[in-house]
Amino acid sequence: MPREAEPSLNEKQFVAQALQENLRLDGREFDQYRPLELSFGDQYGVADVTLGRTRVLAKATAEVTVPYADRPLDGVFTIATELSPMASPSFEVNRPTETEVLLSRLLEKTVRRSGALDTESLCLVAGQKCWSVRVDVHVLAHDGNLIDASCAAVVAALRHFRKPDTSMDAGVLTVYTPAEREPVPLSWLHSPFCVTWSFFGEEGDIAVLDATWLEEQVRVGSCTVSLNKHGEICQIAKLGGTPVDAVALLQCTNVALARVKEFSDMLDAKLAEDAKRRDKGGFMAELRAENDR
Amino acid sequence: MTATAAPEAALGVLPRADGSAKYSHAGYTVTASVNGPIEAQRRDELASEAHVDVIVRPAAGVGGTRERHLEVILQSSLSQIILVKNFPRSLIQIVLQVEDSPENDYVNTKIVQASLNFAVMPALMQTAVLALLSAGVPMKATATATAVAIARVDGAKKITVDPSPRDIETAQSVHVLAFTSHDELLLAESEGDFTIGEWDEVYETAKGICCRPAAAAKEGMAMVLDDDDAGGTDMRQFLRSTMESKVAADLHWK
Amino acid sequence: MTTSTGPLVLPGEALDPSLIPSHPKHPLRLGPGLRHIPPSDIVPTVAGQLTTNSHKNSLWVEANSNRYIPQQNDPILATLLRTAPDSYLLTLSPHTAPASLPHLAFEGATKKTRPILSPGQLVYARVALANKHMDPELECVNPATGKADGLGPITGPGCAFDISLGFARRLLMARSREEGGVGVLEMLAGEEPGITGGGLSFETAVGRNGRVWVGSESAATVIVVGRALQETDRNGLGMEGQRRFVKKLLREMK
Repeated sequence: MPREAEPSLNEKQFVAQALQENLRLDGREFDQYRPLELSFGDQYGVADVTLGRTRVLAKATAEVTVPYADRPLDGVFTIATELSPMASPSFEVNRPTETEVLLSRLLEKTVRRSGALDTESLCLVAGQKCWSVRVDVHVLAHDGNLIDASCAAVVAALRHFRKPDTSMDAGVLTVYTPAEREPVPLSWLHSPFCVTWSFFGEEGDIAVLDATWLEEQVRVGSCTVSLNKHGEICQIAKLGGTPVDAVALLQCTNVALARVKEFSDMLDAKLAEDAKRRDKGGFMAELRAENDR
Repeated sequence: MTATAAPEAALGVLPRADGSAKYSHAGYTVTASVNGPIEAQRRDELASEAHVDVIVRPAAGVGGTRERHLEVILQSSLSQIILVKNFPRSLIQIVLQVEDSPENDYVNTKIVQASLNFAVMPALMQTAVLALLSAGVPMKATATATAVAIARVDGAKKITVDPSPRDIETAQSVHVLAFTSHDELLLAESEGDFTIGEWDEVYETAKGICCRPAAAAKEGMAMVLDDDDAGGTDMRQFLRSTMESKVAADLHWK
Repeated sequence: MTTSTGPLVLPGEALDPSLIPSHPKHPLRLGPGLRHIPPSDIVPTVAGQLTTNSHKNSLWVEANSNRYIPQQNDPILATLLRTAPDSYLLTLSPHTAPASLPHLAFEGATKKTRPILSPGQLVYARVALANKHMDPELECVNPATGKADGLGPITGPGCAFDISLGFARRLLMARSREEGGVGVLEMLAGEEPGITGGGLSFETAVGRNGRVWVGSESAATVIVVGRALQETDRNGLGMEGQRRFVKKLLREMK
């Protein structure tokens, strides 16, 4: 197994001590996120999220395939997260580490299980043909808080993505290429975001948002809350670690809601900006093949 | 989306890697990270030189046989220009992440059977070289690469540099060549039907792009910006100017 | 200064003979970034600026990087990994082979009175032996005089920060402010006129392996100094930029 890089005892002790004095190593507040930057690629469905020195790239793609036998009316939706040595030399290809498994599970529960993407709308011909939407999450740089950054990237990529237009004519399915008809967006129900809290101190009484890699090595517990801007919680995961006071945990979810509203607004603004940039000639209204209902 | 004619590169884009680069040209965008020389795994270490490990990750889907093939080709080429004898029993790890590839608007994408386009190889090679320069890994020489396609249109032969997916679809053969900064041929891969005469023409064209002598470029910046004239950008000059800005930024305090 | 800077060089480039200095008495010494191919070829191996020192008749390539290669006599800041029967094993940089520090390589150490160190402890040591075939060896004592000269385990409150290798070299210069262009330490200590609110007391230990330890009784001071150093390094701040950032940090401290 590749060697794990461990911070020195001096650093760990210092971080814990500084937190007791209300200080973080980069001068942030306890509930302050690092600057979150979001950019889209030239192609539809590519979202690049930078959270301080953490960088995650998500790419959404779709192809026509056969639906699962036990769910003939639903499409297929998968999220793939495979950490490569680009994130850190301690990750190996094809050898899932605990980080990777946890990340994959959290994204699964947050985006897939919460029904953010309407899988019924992906069905083309019941039991025979459906869309298979796949999101690949690539972690380019790991400086802590992969979960929040990856979730934001996945949601942004899916909302930005356009799948090819289709039509049914007397039982014959036609899938149009991008040159024939403009692709259409996915049927999106709500945008969940993850907010991860890290706990420090013997009683787990110091709660901090958006931990850097060094802070993650020192923390005694963590809790990830996934919710959307309407305050609907998709999941809460506190996997082991020092027990935390229940009331404190509820307060954490309140702060999380405030942050999620900020993320939602920012994502909406970025998507609108991107649409405007692509629509320079005002042609989008003409190219759309949908009827006004 | 229009493919940009001029290549663009940014160095040091990944703050935690020893060296990194993001390169885009002809619709391909690749990000590379270099870590090394670091400790190699027991099973990979070589007694008298460093082991060069190349990992290629496509943008969508899981990497398959095609990616492993690209990794092997790149590994043997890069091992020849890196000074591996300086670091016995070490590992130089290069990860190449394809972020964007030009889409063929006339065809719907298939993910499961999607394999990396052959023409992504020059972008992979170039990004790897830029990332190695950014990391300061000692090398014997730098390298430049390009792709050339031959299509037979109405009986006449047409040579396209940096072919688009549409060009590749209609071409008879596609070739990727890389040259070192000493004008030596480092890599030559071809796909399709072609004659030896056609390959010689491809060789001359690619050499003209990758090995333009510095003197010609110095005559004026217009040479670099003027695509029509030379049939392709001067890769060496591009590499040089990218490194110039990086070194100037590093040594601004002097 | 007798040091003069030359043009940008890329690996494998032929050097202009007029750039190579000559001296009637001293032989030509090659520094990092160059290799000698007998009989008379000098070739750069990294991308950087060719620099000469006519006084000492030396030639090297100035470049910044992040991966440390052990060199003899370098002061370094290492972390203890574990204890072996006769020595301690320390890591100089993440993912590299550990270096060994003999139990007796401390000032006044005998088999009975050697310092006991625990895993994770930071140690300021000097590289005693380094070559490509062996794992590096360290020492915490000057073998000639038997004195520690400031080397040894780091005790006291403080934190270690990561910096680039070029920045570490600048900090270790005899006059880091004039020659290296780094003034943040003097500014924060209150030795710079025009910056009020300084006068922080702290100590630093700089390792050539890209690590710097800042120690102070006050955690806020350590954080401010660490942030100032990392910001200057990562964003390439000039003296003016450093002044502005230090003023901002001191304001926030209030």
